[in-house]
Amino acid sequence: MMVNSFFNKIMVALYHIPWVRNRWANHFSAQESDTIPWTPLKKPLSICKIVLLTTGGIHLKSDTPFDMKDKYGDPTYRKIPSNAALKDITITHDYYNHDDADQDINLVFPIEMLWDAQQNGLVGESAEFFYSFMGHIDKHHIKTLKEQTAKAVAHQLKREKVDIAFLVPA
Amino acid sequence: MCNQTVGLVQREIESNGISTVGISLARQISEKVKPPRTYFLKYPYGHALGELFNKKQQLTIFQDCLNLLESAQEPGIIVDSPYRWRKHKFD
Repeated sequence: MMVNSFFNKIMVALYHIPWVRNRWANHFSAQESDTIPWTPLKKPLSICKIVLLTTGGIHLKSDTPFDMKDKYGDPTYRKIPSNAALKDITITHDYYNHDDADQDINLVFPIEMLWDAQQNGLVGESAEFFYSFMGHIDKHHIKTLKEQTAKAVAHQLKREKVDIAFLVPA
Repeated sequence: MCNQTVGLVQREIESNGISTVGISLARQISEKVKPPRTYFLKYPYGHALGELFNKKQQLTIFQDCLNLLESAQEPGIIVDSPYRWRKHKFD
């Protein structure tokens, strides 16, 4: 575990170098798709119910942290009440440098930007919950993400009659 | 991988009748995963909305993404942000 953690820190530092990051992204064997889903915006943004989603490993301090022991990641998600206080939110994610996001959660979870947009009437109400994944998901966990957890979140949003979703990576 | 995860979750949500927009920090990955609407920034990981405590920058990027939700006409659109990391001044 200590070896894993040390290795992750080295990799996180390397990925901060743009050349390394680009080279890695160029060679990353991503999940490719031929088709693209499409839902046109049905009404003005000012009356759209919105949900925020992040892959920044954010969760309530009182919630179970994401699994950092499994090197292939953790395909589960955490629900964050949309009225949660910022002081109650933390980050568990060893695969990016979140020193800045620890101080300013908006970098990976723009909740205060959303509040500002709502106060200015640019977008409608928030969904009851926002959602967070820990974006480092690899190997067999990708199947779980695609076939179980992402579907579960999408179905909850549909039930809650959410109109628009805003997704942010880490 | 975070960018791939965003794209995969985004695709699933859009498939359920909800309009989505996602930020990407890795254009090459988004081109393969093909989310419906993507706003690409050449920013470091952990800084999808920009720099620490730069509220002007964060609001601008957030607003640009909302605008993309309204303006996008074609599935798979990727908009390249004009804001260079630590070069662009948000006044």
